[in-house]
Amino acid sequence: MATESLLSAHDLAVRYPNGEIALHHVTFEVSSPSFMAIIGPNGSGKSTLLKTVLGLLKPLRGSVGLLGLDSVKNQSRIRKLVRYVPQRDRIELNVPMKVKDIVLMGRLVKKPPPRVASHEDKKAARSALQQVAMDEFWERPFPELSGGQRQRVLVARALAGEGPVLMLDEPLAGTDVDSQDLIVDALGVYHRENDVSIIMVTHDLNPIHTMVRDVLMLKNTVVGVGTPCDVMDPELVMSLYGPTAKIVEHSGHRYCVTQDSGVDRHD
Amino acid sequence: MIDIILLIIESPFLQRALIGVFMIAIVASTSGSFLVFRGLSFMTSGVAHAALGGAALGLFLQASNIAPWFDPMLGALVFSVFVALVTGHAGETGIGEKMEVAVGVSFALSMSLAVFLMYYIPPVEVPGIWGYLVGDLLLLNNLDIIMLAGTAVLLLIAAILFNKEFVYVSVDMEGSTAQGLNARAYHYLMLITSALAIALATKAVGAILVYAILVAPAAASNELLGSVRSVMIAVFVIAVVSQVAGIAVSLSVRASPSAIAGILAAMSYVVALQIRKMRDRVHIDEELEQLLQPSGIEMLDAAEGRGHTHND
Repeated sequence: MATESLLSAHDLAVRYPNGEIALHHVTFEVSSPSFMAIIGPNGSGKSTLLKTVLGLLKPLRGSVGLLGLDSVKNQSRIRKLVRYVPQRDRIELNVPMKVKDIVLMGRLVKKPPPRVASHEDKKAARSALQQVAMDEFWERPFPELSGGQRQRVLVARALAGEGPVLMLDEPLAGTDVDSQDLIVDALGVYHRENDVSIIMVTHDLNPIHTMVRDVLMLKNTVVGVGTPCDVMDPELVMSLYGPTAKIVEHSGHRYCVTQDSGVDRHD
Repeated sequence: MIDIILLIIESPFLQRALIGVFMIAIVASTSGSFLVFRGLSFMTSGVAHAALGGAALGLFLQASNIAPWFDPMLGALVFSVFVALVTGHAGETGIGEKMEVAVGVSFALSMSLAVFLMYYIPPVEVPGIWGYLVGDLLLLNNLDIIMLAGTAVLLLIAAILFNKEFVYVSVDMEGSTAQGLNARAYHYLMLITSALAIALATKAVGAILVYAILVAPAAASNELLGSVRSVMIAVFVIAVVSQVAGIAVSLSVRASPSAIAGILAAMSYVVALQIRKMRDRVHIDEELEQLLQPSGIEMLDAAEGRGHTHND
């Protein structure tokens, strides 16, 4: 598996559902296993790339593949391999779900009907909640949690599931510092201890840059691909986030300072 | 008690009404709950009025001899499914607001068509169209019961077999699709079976009762209860109690059972909102109390203690 391609695109172009071009001339390859970050400002096509890989959007031109599987031809196989965490605001809060129901969903959604939770499913769900310090909330109504807590539960849903690739769409946007640290640590530990790859869309590389192996910089097309140190280059960062973006060094690491806020939608 | 049982045994119309009560309660606890979860309670009214348009088309096709075989009820069901399909298409991305707009547009289209066709239908037939919006629990006939029971049972089976799928599609359409669930199929199954049940229930017991029983108990239960199953059970209970109360009152006082049942069901939502308010107030009091518990006081003391050493 070491030399297999995790995520690769060839001359990919995709439209947003509203008709605008989201991605064009996207060509890159990242090998597996990896902890990969896809970064870029609002509206740069990061989430669109994930959705195209999952077959939720169709390529206008070119192709994209996960673990060597084409997003169009092998859609259902890809979906079986991936545990996906959508942006938090995609979760309907009007449904009276308990925390345990959300986490168990990560496992039951891949089972055949009637999707009854086994002892093993519950054990995995509890263990996943422990990893993000939410195990005490097992019976609590999901809609009553704070935004950061809800995000931790959604990450736990992915940790509880099965499949070699975790895909997370802006899991750190709009969360409190504690939740952010818990999510980042949980993902880092999970990646180290298990044979899984993580692909994370984020507007901010800083919280995860010490554990990320590959970074893809997008601004509707590929701006840069490489290790976090490679891409923390003042010129690259300015071409991505504009002239106000800066690189600062602290404790031997380079951090990027931008005015970008995160969540963006193109429905 | 025995009097009541004897009365029921002796009155076929009461028997039909009671069967109808249970069937409507099943429709409410299954499709009513899910429509409220998805923010689609307006679809109840949209489907009922679309059914009216379909019935008008059926009457027109019969009266004009274009298609004498086209029963108005068939038209009503086809138009209901049309609303479900348009709504479903708008909601494939899982966004509630788009579905609400789709219901509104297809509702307007069907009603406009109904009014347009009314000019071309023999005047004696026109009240028959409005008959698709007014029905009464005590006036159910055997055909109403058979059709209503058929769809209620179909809905119940779908809701039992695919309960988790319907919940997943409602809570996270994108995530479910991305992880291999055939979310589109369940999404349409949920909307189409709901639309058929709403259309038949409207024909049987009347639009107002259907809105009241499908929307209010589900909204009330969803304010207070924390799990899908408890909401569905509570909706069933509220629906049965308010309808039986409606029938009981109508036997002693001169009043429409549907109206009484509708008022009681709608009141359940008002009551639930009040309970919710009171509960929230108690929670706030408890939370504030907790802040005054020893740990909280210590913090305040510590802060006071530190106050003297601050360099102002």
